Amino acid sequence: MSATSAPPKSSVGRFSSFRPSPAFVRWVDLAGQWAAPIMIVVVLIIAAVLAPAFFLPTNLKTLAIQIAVLGIVSIGQTLVLLVRSIDLSVSAVLALGAVIVVQTAAGNPLWISFIQAFAVAAVFGLANGFLVAKRQVPPFVATFGMLVFIQGARLAYTKGQASGTVPEILRAISFNQVGPIPAALLVWLIVNIIVIFFLNSTRYGRWIYAVGGNPSAARYAGIRVDAVIMAVHMICSMLAMLGGLVLSGYIGYVDLRLGADYNTNSIAAAIIGGTTFTGGRGNLFGTAAGVALLILLLNLVVVLGLPIHWQYVMQGSVLVAAVALQGFRQFLLSH
Amino acid sequence: MAVTVENTRERYQPSLRQWSKFFRNNTSIILIYVIILVVIGAAAILNENFRTPSNMLNILRQSIIIGLIAIGQSVVVLTGGIDFSVAQVARIVGLTVATIFAAQGSNPALILPLILLGLFIGALLGGFNGLIITRTHANPFIITFGIASILRGVNLAISTTPIRGIPDPYLRIYDFKIGIVPANVLVMIIMWVAAYVFTTRTRTGRALYAVGGSERVARLSAIRYNRTLVTAYIFSSFCAAIAGLFLLARTGVGDPSAAEGMDFQSVVAVALGGISLYGGRGSILGTLGGVLLLAALSNVFNLLQVNIYYQQLFLGLIVLITVAVYKSPRSA
Repeated sequence: MSATSAPPKSSVGRFSSFRPSPAFVRWVDLAGQWAAPIMIVVVLIIAAVLAPAFFLPTNLKTLAIQIAVLGIVSIGQTLVLLVRSIDLSVSAVLALGAVIVVQTAAGNPLWISFIQAFAVAAVFGLANGFLVAKRQVPPFVATFGMLVFIQGARLAYTKGQASGTVPEILRAISFNQVGPIPAALLVWLIVNIIVIFFLNSTRYGRWIYAVGGNPSAARYAGIRVDAVIMAVHMICSMLAMLGGLVLSGYIGYVDLRLGADYNTNSIAAAIIGGTTFTGGRGNLFGTAAGVALLILLLNLVVVLGLPIHWQYVMQGSVLVAAVALQGFRQFLLSH
Repeated sequence: MAVTVENTRERYQPSLRQWSKFFRNNTSIILIYVIILVVIGAAAILNENFRTPSNMLNILRQSIIIGLIAIGQSVVVLTGGIDFSVAQVARIVGLTVATIFAAQGSNPALILPLILLGLFIGALLGGFNGLIITRTHANPFIITFGIASILRGVNLAISTTPIRGIPDPYLRIYDFKIGIVPANVLVMIIMWVAAYVFTTRTRTGRALYAVGGSERVARLSAIRYNRTLVTAYIFSSFCAAIAGLFLLARTGVGDPSAAEGMDFQSVVAVALGGISLYGGRGSILGTLGGVLLLAALSNVFNLLQVNIYYQQLFLGLIVLITVAVYKSPRSA
């Protein structure tokens, strides 16, 4: 895009003394697009040099499951980001899913607890979407309020104690393999394929890009913008629920702090994969690369034997760097 | 037309017209104080422990720390941003000061330098937030959220257990009284008055509103956009640092889980007080109302011995209802 040679269109550019060269703009754009894959290679090289234990089969299997869980959650987060929203309640929904299934699995047939879990997730997603689309609440406030609410509800229900046993089928998903591939990773791949097909080849998918790219244009084109935003929030919450079920199968019990980091991580993964905050830009291949990068980095902290809280520093740095890079890229491209 | 009829009628009742204008311009602020009065009134009638003067003073004292953080948060929200790193800034200031105290054998001579150091750390972190946000044009919420995550890790790296060894004179800061008025309540009053004057009577304060209202108009009015934003973030972190120092004096230990959840609570107080989360509208007096309401509710819950998890549930519910009821004027 030869944005810099044309006179600046936006109101902001006119005031700025900052005149980037076209080469610089192209470089930032490429960096934004390819950041995740390049960084993955770099991290793998660092891992090979510093920590050979990284490539042990047991560690690789752990990585696969972690990638699967974060990957499923990040797919939903990417969809929400595509429509200019954000979902900070994914971690609460994810933790709630495990509680619902574990608590209700005792007496009922399993499929009923699954339906219950996904119905609850859909309701919370719908509530998020309602607040964002119909009441025009800033998305992070609406979904953070939802996060506090859901957490409070879950803790009030469980009294803050870990309990219950996870159903056999969830354990199987986390520990069995289909050929050489762990079943959890297969779940992630299947969800990815479905959503990518849905995004690129159905009109509903194109609606999502249209709404994110320019909501008023989308409205004039006859798209029901509010309905799309609400639907996307519902899908996001249900994917978070699915991620929570896979995770609980892996951990084997329901913990107080289950999945607390998935907000930061899913946003970071989507953003570093090239999705922008201003909506309409991004795809799931990028998100997949972002997920892999983030999990590799977090795992590296463990394998290198650093104290576990450096994971917070790691995920925060990745988030800030990714958002700063993508924000800057978006700024340059729009001028 | 209905509007004309109303105007002609009101022309003969100038005082009524002024009053109705006042009410229309300050609906959210008046509403929040009415709600506070209702909550406090109901609690005072129903619970005899609540209506004791010492408990009333307690509510004020409990609202100091969240109040300090909320002052800074209001300023940032007025610019259309949000600062989610405030709780972690308060924590890192407390932890750093406590660590140095512990390492130097609780030397009372260090109190003043360390207070200054704490304030400096706060301002530095705020400047860092502001610089990233203005230079990269990234979303302020996510930047500060990421910074908060980094600081959380750094805080745990400083210590995972409470740090002892704060000198006694420092601890007395919190209980210090002038006459019967606790000094900290006095500090809070001074801070609120200063913040009110700052946002309504100074050039930078009005620039905050302009920046939050419209970036384009602010720039056309020769307001230094970037500088105003950076100032707001520095101010917010600075307030958080003061809160961190107070918290240290109150708890007496450098606590690696201090100020947990205060980032969100401060946003709740701001939203309850009617400051538009899209920026440019609202008053710091509303935030004060939000802070007092949160403190009163928390006090009532504690007197009724409501489980902490249910308190969280109620907090979430209050937020969701508040944001659902206040529809943003900008998008209407």
